[in-house]
Amino acid sequence: MSVTCNELDVLLPEFLDGTLTPAQEAAAAEHLATCKACALEVNELEGVTRLYKEYGALTLPDDARKRIMGTLDLEE
Amino acid sequence: MSDTTLPQGNVPTLRTLFNEFADATYTLGYRILGDRHLAEDVVQETFIKIIHSLATYRGEGPIGGWIYRIGYREAIAISRKRRETVMDPDSVTFATLEAPQSVEASVLQAELVAEMDKAIFELSEPVRAAFTLRDIQGLSTKEVAEILDVSESAVKMRLARAREALRLRLKEYLV
Repeated sequence: MSVTCNELDVLLPEFLDGTLTPAQEAAAAEHLATCKACALEVNELEGVTRLYKEYGALTLPDDARKRIMGTLDLEE
Repeated sequence: MSDTTLPQGNVPTLRTLFNEFADATYTLGYRILGDRHLAEDVVQETFIKIIHSLATYRGEGPIGGWIYRIGYREAIAISRKRRETVMDPDSVTFATLEAPQSVEASVLQAELVAEMDKAIFELSEPVRAAFTLRDIQGLSTKEVAEILDVSESAVKMRLARAREALRLRLKEYLV
């Protein structure tokens, strides 16, 4: 059985995390197949997660890495 | 989390831990504080704390969770200290790209990353921390809840808030 837009809103966090029950998942998918506004919202939310997964993590710069390791060696 | 619970007495060396978690700690520090130099301080202070407590680490739960917890507390401590002084918004130093491709692609990517940096820094600190650990570092909701010392439902609420705010803020890039 499909859900309404408001009901989908409640399910969204777990839908995005893939932690809904199979029945809830099916109901959400059924709604998304017919509601363009919700489908767009879900697409954008997935885009946010994708962007930050791709570009959000940083690498400690080499100079800082060496300096901090030097400090840690002294502490040890 | 990438690691598992360690058998008792099997504690990795500091260098091993540093190699595995320095970048993640730096990312967490940067995403909470929005400043590269302060994020480096978070890394240093976190690993100094680890030196002093590694011998007493009892191998309860993933060691990554323990390190993130220390890193999070260090970042919050630095944030509190900074709030006590007047903060100049221009002092926030956003990270720069490391590996640009073509000129056009690198300009677009640099603009996107700069907007992503600003957008995440507009979220409240607790929301930023939950989003960083869950959606950037890829930890589970349960692990994030343990690190932040809040309930899983609080983590879910913060995540929903972060994702929605970032969706609205970055709409033009989400095609």
